[in-house]
Amino acid sequence: MKKEINFVLNKKGVNITTDPLRRLLDILREDLGLKGVKEGCGEGECGSCAVIINNRIVNSCIVAVGTVEGAEIITIEGYRKTKQYKLLEDSFAEAGAVQCGFCTPGIIIAAETLLRINPEPNENAIRDAISGNLCRCTGYNMIVEGIKIASQKGKGLW
Amino acid sequence: MKQKISIPIKKSDVPEKAGGSAKYIADIEFEGMLYAKTLRSDRPRARINSIKIPELPEGYYIVDKNDIPGKNRVKMIIDDQPFFAEDVVNYIGEPILLVVGPDKEKVFEIVYKIKVYYEDIEPIFTIEEAEKEKKNPIYGDDNCFAEYEFKKGEPEKAFATLSYIVEDEYSTDYQEHIYLEPQGVVGIYENGKVTVYGAMQCPYYVKNALLQAFGWDENRIRVVQTTTGGAFGGKEEYPSLIAGHAAFAAVKTGKPVQLVFDRNEDIEVTTKRHPSSIKFKTALDENNRIIAMDVDIKIDAGANAGLSDVVLQRSMFSATGVYNIPNIRVRGKALATNKVPSGAFRGFGAPQVFFAIEMHMYHIADKVGMEPIDFKTKHILMRGDTTSTGGLLRSEVKLPEIIDTIDKMSQYREKYEKFKKKRDGLKGIGFSLFFHGCGFTGSGEKDLIKAKVKLKKKKNDKVEILVSNVDMGQGAQTALRKIVSYSLDKPIEHIIYENPDTDRVPDSGPTVASRTVMIVGGLLEKAARKLKERWNEAPELEIVERYKQPEYIRWDQKKFKGDAYPEYSWGANVVEVEIDPVTYEIKVLGIWGVYDVGVAIDEKMLRGQIEGGIIQGLGFATIEVMNIKDGKIQQDTITDYIIPTSKDFPKIEIKLIDNPYEYGPFGAKCAGELPFVGAAPALASAVQYALNVPIRKIPVTPELLLSYVNLINKPQNSKELRECLTTEHVPPLRDPEVSGTEIAELKETS
Amino acid sequence: MVSAYRPENLKEALLRRKEFRVIPFAGGTDLMVKGRRWSGLAPHFELPVLFIGHLGELKNVELEQNCLRIGSCCTLSYLLENENMPQAIKIALWMFASPAIRNIGTIGGNICNASPAGDTLPVLYAVNASVVLKNTNGIREVPIEQFIKGVGKTVLQDDELLKEIIIPIKSFDTIYYRKVGTRKANALSKISFLGLAKIKNGLIEDIRISFGAVAPTVVRSMEIEDRLKGKTKKYIKQIIPEICSQYSTLIKPIDDQRSNAYYRKIVSLRLLKHFLTKDIL
Repeated sequence: MKKEINFVLNKKGVNITTDPLRRLLDILREDLGLKGVKEGCGEGECGSCAVIINNRIVNSCIVAVGTVEGAEIITIEGYRKTKQYKLLEDSFAEAGAVQCGFCTPGIIIAAETLLRINPEPNENAIRDAISGNLCRCTGYNMIVEGIKIASQKGKGLW
Repeated sequence: MKQKISIPIKKSDVPEKAGGSAKYIADIEFEGMLYAKTLRSDRPRARINSIKIPELPEGYYIVDKNDIPGKNRVKMIIDDQPFFAEDVVNYIGEPILLVVGPDKEKVFEIVYKIKVYYEDIEPIFTIEEAEKEKKNPIYGDDNCFAEYEFKKGEPEKAFATLSYIVEDEYSTDYQEHIYLEPQGVVGIYENGKVTVYGAMQCPYYVKNALLQAFGWDENRIRVVQTTTGGAFGGKEEYPSLIAGHAAFAAVKTGKPVQLVFDRNEDIEVTTKRHPSSIKFKTALDENNRIIAMDVDIKIDAGANAGLSDVVLQRSMFSATGVYNIPNIRVRGKALATNKVPSGAFRGFGAPQVFFAIEMHMYHIADKVGMEPIDFKTKHILMRGDTTSTGGLLRSEVKLPEIIDTIDKMSQYREKYEKFKKKRDGLKGIGFSLFFHGCGFTGSGEKDLIKAKVKLKKKKNDKVEILVSNVDMGQGAQTALRKIVSYSLDKPIEHIIYENPDTDRVPDSGPTVASRTVMIVGGLLEKAARKLKERWNEAPELEIVERYKQPEYIRWDQKKFKGDAYPEYSWGANVVEVEIDPVTYEIKVLGIWGVYDVGVAIDEKMLRGQIEGGIIQGLGFATIEVMNIKDGKIQQDTITDYIIPTSKDFPKIEIKLIDNPYEYGPFGAKCAGELPFVGAAPALASAVQYALNVPIRKIPVTPELLLSYVNLINKPQNSKELRECLTTEHVPPLRDPEVSGTEIAELKETS
Repeated sequence: MVSAYRPENLKEALLRRKEFRVIPFAGGTDLMVKGRRWSGLAPHFELPVLFIGHLGELKNVELEQNCLRIGSCCTLSYLLENENMPQAIKIALWMFASPAIRNIGTIGGNICNASPAGDTLPVLYAVNASVVLKNTNGIREVPIEQFIKGVGKTVLQDDELLKEIIIPIKSFDTIYYRKVGTRKANALSKISFLGLAKIKNGLIEDIRISFGAVAPTVVRSMEIEDRLKGKTKKYIKQIIPEICSQYSTLIKPIDDQRSNAYYRKIVSLRLLKHFLTKDIL
């Protein structure tokens, strides 16, 4: 049975009427057309579908949309408009952190939620922060480097 | 000397990928698109007696073997794989039919309601069973998709005269690709023409498969690659199968049909790395020099032939590693079993064999009382030597420099000595040497591929690259644009590369075996230089370049004699580990790699290949466990089939040795597979050194190491090693229930 | 059919619980995976779910004089960041899944799942946690080892919700936690081991030992622990084989896709022995 659900998505209010058990991932991708949120596994293991909900990283494939009533959600589509994103994008390019790119939006989200609370993370903190984001191309070191570069260049930004 | 082209530039696709605007196949919506779900066999081997299908609501369809206009076989080396099962199924997950319709909920429900009535047939699950079973083989009369043998020198004579012989047997298991983007295609039928969009490595493989399946005229089939989220070989041959599915469905329904796998479906039914069993028999003379080697390789191909024939060939051509051995016999078999078909995966049969040969060399070194690095170095191939197939090594083989460099970087010898004399926990260090044969086997480029590339100069002075090779993350679009830009002396922004569309691009061959840079890049370099000369001839120009085999290549495909590959890339790895004395978990402390890939087209992108390849290789060597029990994959979710995370392995130190290849673009050879190949043997050697037990199998899991516990306490181990282990050691139990005698043993060691 | 209820408060949630058979749904990290079908489709459950993860009454951590009360719907991240959380719990939480899972997964969910590999369970057993179950009539408090009955089985009644977890306050000098996982992060446990000890004047004043993922429920034995209390290092060294043998009868692991029974059993005992010989004294 459908229910009305309200939340804030990328700074804009959203009101939808749908089955509250549907996955947030499907709402974002299918109902709202936000295809930057990727489905890599559908069971919360790979982090490709990561979004920010109330300032924290969450895998949208295991979130029932009925549970995000009143929440504030940021997806890569909202985040990519920020200065912080631009810096992360440049730093990732500089570090060679992007190969096939399927995991990248999720990892950018993980980087943002890390830098937000820890603007100068050490290597361990970076590895912890992206430990729920699988990448099969890079072996991670170049991603870790990308986040380090962003942190160094982004003094005062986070 | 560093070449100018090697200086890194930013990959051009970063903004769209990082920002999430890049469109992968699942991100593209076509108007009126229907969704397909596959009904699959849940039996490893059975006859299909009947299929009961519920009444279909309007707008819903079944697509099966009867909807294939041409041949119900996926075009491959041997056409044995049906698009949809006919009267028998041969593995759990084999496609039987599709349910197609507009509402996923209903499609799902229909699939759920279909009943298939089977009559089970005795299945064949292992290489041994496949060899034995002659009454009811899966394939041919001996279950063998391919069987080869080749020789060099006079191995029989050598074995007859030499008395010091070392024999070993090794095995490797499945590995799943886990490209982050699951497989997916969309089929469209418009105006009598079928178009398939999808994630793939080889648009023309797909096109050719569709041509055979439809039996239509060439211009009625079109294949377009969409941004591909990783492949590693997994999107080499497999997409041909599902492209067929989506295309048949599109033709039947008249609507676009999307077939995108969920992850777990992808794990269960797509191809994997071939499990292998590899035996060595090696004869040495009184100077501890290897005089002859006999290698017997068996790979588990699964239910269909797929590419197993060529995977087997590559494994055979890698059998004796980087070593110069005068007398060789290599035998190989690819066997049919009732399991998911094995297929292409980064390294293509070579990683299995390099693990085995490197461990075998280590074992022999131990036996003759030499350090592995010295024993291996004593046998390395050099320029002027011949390979196992008798191909002459024309270029300089820089292995001595590679070995010296990696030793300095990793302090391998120093640590090896240190760990030998004094134990600091259960530390070990391992070393591997390896090559990768670049591109297709022998004269495959000339005889099979016949690559053709096109450069198109446009009115606005921009130049478009028209090739069928794809960017699947490795950076082909940046690398190829870089090659053209440097050859033309035009800014890279002026060079256009778009995802291949078979209606626009010539067949420059598949995106495999690192041939994209070496072969296709080489052709583009030539084309670009021609274009440069003719630049002012006309506002619009088209240059077509076709592959011409370098004169030096000699290859007899029947006898496996000559240059098995046009050229080789070389490398060495060192891995340092520490084993937890309580749990036997392996912690990797350091990773080093030195590579000769000719010249790097872009050092950063190359580093990306190396880093990613090593970590994939270490995953293969350690944590990536996949067992099939009664035909069913036990680790069939991404929660249970695990790949490395950011915390599993440390930083990697890498150095490149320049060694330009005359026929490669800017001197480039192959680089994609090479880094994968050496990781597992280096890791396994380090573990072997730490525990002083022979590692004969990967993945090296803590469970495997525990099973060696009784070997660990063998008397010839050093006192330190024994002490280090026995203080922690609870003796192994034959049964999980501890028996009285075992408790007594426990007491003794405490 | 109603697929989900979203009550405004705990009272309403308990009323729903009383009126209908529903599946309590806190973070949903496990349920959403269990019920999944196909990309694009809502997960399927036999019963409607009752969202409770948002209920403020279930999200507090309160420090009382002798105990800590943890609301069942506190997320694992929230607990990890809470200054009052005992160190032993923090260590277990730190190794729990990934940041994104910890951000919505709840402690109550992990308990009620009653998975043999549930990563909060060994520590909750070891610290003598109890759970408070509430229905519309009132509450009852049940020790955790009595709450969990088997794989996926608890004594939670159809009309009850897990309200909070009570942890008696007690400090330990030694915390030895080992999660032997399938990999180094974001992993499921093959074995987990927790040893806690408090030493006074060379004698063991208190000791707690629990094992996860090696039997249908967490293995902990008060009887064996009692034998170790008040003893010296020397004495313990002597009786290690006996202790191992006693635990050995309680540890009943299985072969599965992540490890095998043999490894689980041997390594559990090795971890125990390591704790008793190296770590505590």
